[in-house]
Amino acid sequence: MQVRTGVCGGARQPEASHPNRYRRRASPVRLHATGLRVSEVAAMVVFALLIINKAGGLIFNRTFAPGLQKLDSNDYLILAGTFHGIHAISRTISPAPPVQPLPGNRRPPTTGIESMESSHFRLTCFQTPTGVKFLLFTSPEQPNTDAVVRRCYEIYGEFVMKNPFYSLEMPVRVEKFDRALGAYLVRP
Amino acid sequence: MSVYSFYIFDRHTECIYTKRWTEHHAPPTSRPSATGALSNGAADVPVATRRAMKLEDDAKLIFGTIFSLRRMVRQLGGADDQFLSYRTGEYKLHYFETPTQLKLIMLTDMRVGNMRTVLYQIWATLYVEYVVKSPLAPTEHPRGVGVANELFEGGLERFIESMFSPQP
Repeated sequence: MQVRTGVCGGARQPEASHPNRYRRRASPVRLHATGLRVSEVAAMVVFALLIINKAGGLIFNRTFAPGLQKLDSNDYLILAGTFHGIHAISRTISPAPPVQPLPGNRRPPTTGIESMESSHFRLTCFQTPTGVKFLLFTSPEQPNTDAVVRRCYEIYGEFVMKNPFYSLEMPVRVEKFDRALGAYLVRP
Repeated sequence: MSVYSFYIFDRHTECIYTKRWTEHHAPPTSRPSATGALSNGAADVPVATRRAMKLEDDAKLIFGTIFSLRRMVRQLGGADDQFLSYRTGEYKLHYFETPTQLKLIMLTDMRVGNMRTVLYQIWATLYVEYVVKSPLAPTEHPRGVGVANELFEGGLERFIESMFSPQP
């Protein structure tokens, strides 16, 4: 990771007649290669990934960075089941007027919760056409959560679905999947 | 950019105010109309009563959803974490809770940004002014008594219209 230092503002010396609030910052601001401040980049974090099967049971659960409360495995199971139910209900309470499909096309199905904001984290939910849900917990500043969760889905397809010893809808215990996810989501 | 509906729930988990700006359409996966081959019970219930029951059911479903989501957020983020909003493919739900456990919920179009300040405004300038400070309104509002007075409704309509001017 390249880190270049830049000075915030100009390099002029403050004049004696200026009030204190126009004094320039003494130490340089450290900038990341992407142009954001290092402190901002450090805040963009993926906390955890949960995978829920078609029936609402939790099949994969892993934390990548601290930031969420420590819950035991039972709590995660309950959480997954609760979210599965809420996802279904959020589909039925949709108040939007239904969009008229073009003649000959099937009406597009209503979707459930795709993203949820709270003050400490953001939850992105990606539902595959087969009913498997990927829940990604990130910090609220994390951009491109859609791309991240889709990449997780690709990794799942590569290492779990193509694994001949994996039974569908069962808990995921595939070492290559864990390693690939770790390489993608854990920051060194 | 439009608002679909607005709900207020009090701390006794009752829905004390409902406002819709759109006709509720049943989702495509729901049962067929009563003229189809359905049980006799559904055919006896008049349309108006069914619509009223559907509105009540909606309010209860929404309350159940946000109650569970709030609990989930507290469990994951700690006791000081607050559930703010969620978005689906069709709508966005915004949530604001006052320290007296009064819950204001607004369902809008997906493209709307953060509505927390708007909900705070509705509470502070409309609800507190016209409902709480009204000498005729009771302290508690069982089944919504005393909330839907003209000043509050009119103020809410004007406020929402100024925020979301109707599209031509």
